Amino acid sequence: MKSLIFNLLITFLLLFFAVISMPCYANLTENFRWSLDGSARLNQNAALDNTSRIYALGLDTHKVFTNSNGDIGYGVGQLYWTKLSNHMPVPFLFTNKDDSEFIIREAHLNYTAGPDWLPNIRVGHFTLPFGLEESIDTNGRLLDYYLGKNLGSKLDWGLSLNKVINKIEYNVSYTLGGKDKAKSVDGSYAITGRVGSLSHLDFVIGLSIFDGEIDGYSRKRLALDWQYYWTTWGLLGELALGEDDKQNQSWQKEKYGLIELNKTAINEQLKLYSQLIIRDRESQNSADKLVNIGFSYQFNTQLELSMSGGQQINNPASGKKQQLARVQVRYRY
Amino acid sequence: MKILLTLLSKTLLILVLLMLILPSGNVNAIAYCSLRDPVAQISQLYPQKTNQLSIVKTVNDNTRAQVQIALPSNDLHFSELGQHTLYIAMLGKESLGYIHVRSEQSDWGLVEIVWAIDKDLKITNFAFQRCRSPKKKIAQEIGFKNIFIGKNYQELKGLLSNDGVTAKKEVLEKVQQAPELANVVLRCALKTLLLTEMLWGDELEEL
Repeated sequence: MKSLIFNLLITFLLLFFAVISMPCYANLTENFRWSLDGSARLNQNAALDNTSRIYALGLDTHKVFTNSNGDIGYGVGQLYWTKLSNHMPVPFLFTNKDDSEFIIREAHLNYTAGPDWLPNIRVGHFTLPFGLEESIDTNGRLLDYYLGKNLGSKLDWGLSLNKVINKIEYNVSYTLGGKDKAKSVDGSYAITGRVGSLSHLDFVIGLSIFDGEIDGYSRKRLALDWQYYWTTWGLLGELALGEDDKQNQSWQKEKYGLIELNKTAINEQLKLYSQLIIRDRESQNSADKLVNIGFSYQFNTQLELSMSGGQQINNPASGKKQQLARVQVRYRY
Repeated sequence: MKILLTLLSKTLLILVLLMLILPSGNVNAIAYCSLRDPVAQISQLYPQKTNQLSIVKTVNDNTRAQVQIALPSNDLHFSELGQHTLYIAMLGKESLGYIHVRSEQSDWGLVEIVWAIDKDLKITNFAFQRCRSPKKKIAQEIGFKNIFIGKNYQELKGLLSNDGVTAKKEVLEKVQQAPELANVVLRCALKTLLLTEMLWGDELEEL
């Protein structure tokens, strides 16, 4: 199955470039967006009594491929140099708390030129289509919907079928479960999908599924997400039910819920949010409850300041409550 | 607390330095992976279309200045700067018309309107991509839409009152329950047609 998927990936890429090499309306630099994207983030983790920093500088690109009949598809490529400074716990992409790495965030092609009945076909490294994250991008932001923690990875290599049709949009993917690696690792895989109402509306509802094995963890999830906007207020939520199995021991039930209230200034420069997150695992005596508050202020199209604070409100068995304050400056040029 | 204050003061210092040192660019504020084509609205406005052709152009400070000259008392929202797409609705190889999405600030946040424009640069229809006004339904009625449909830039400009930002009294009388929304839609229509001609005019003539 995995070698079949890999062969399909290669075939798709060859076909895509064969199609776009036909006489095109635009050359490679037309319909091409690019931006240098730099950010500096300071983290104060009270539970670990640790202050850390994360610096990122990257190239964010977007290209629409066209020919005389119209658009064929588009590609997104994001490559970031990321440097940690005293950051703990060490994220999986790094080897120590002061490491630096080149990281591919999103890197995919989406073929959109098929007939109405044919889904768009996306190939590459992309965000798994699940829950709120499917319509609200949190890439490089302090705002987070905990997709990575819930599924084992936020992004993965593979292919997806996606489309917006009448009143519905859907996105279903098969990915290799290697996270940053474009291969299956020890049998890893992920099947992810979401079907929902149109994401630009004031009320959006979606249903997501996940079945996968990543890092030796098998996970199954069924989730409901919703967004409701009234004037400058938004009320968002996600409820996921499922079970986890760590290295073929036994399945443990897990519930995850997030509710968010947000407010946006009428000029859109200031955005405020508060979140309550509840994670209830069968293996734990009590549920973890976390409150997040944060804001972002967009000075102009380039410069953004954001801050957030998170506090665990239940008493964990370890005795140390999560307590994290973060500040980020982001500049796009 | 002390650490946070230190972080904040350092952050503010960095911000000021960045604003002084770096010139303004032509980027979009959001990461490009979050860009979405208004697929559902294009299908609604051009149900017979078989595909769409995108043409990306840059709205920069110079463009903004030209808008301010052409439409005094008006400005472009900062999110309108950067690279934006004009879509040509296609039926096979034939162009059916154009689609242009623009945002306008309102009392309920940004209103994003998907405009359908014919080859003579007249409004043929519009749909909301985002409108959080409690009176949105009024603006979707044909009576409201007909104020704008069939008009070009000059005809729409004739609907503006002397203050340059609100519609004339006789226009507002037709939409008694939603005057603010009518003003927002009118300003958005004017800027859309102005920018379409200003930035995409050459390409559209060649089609």
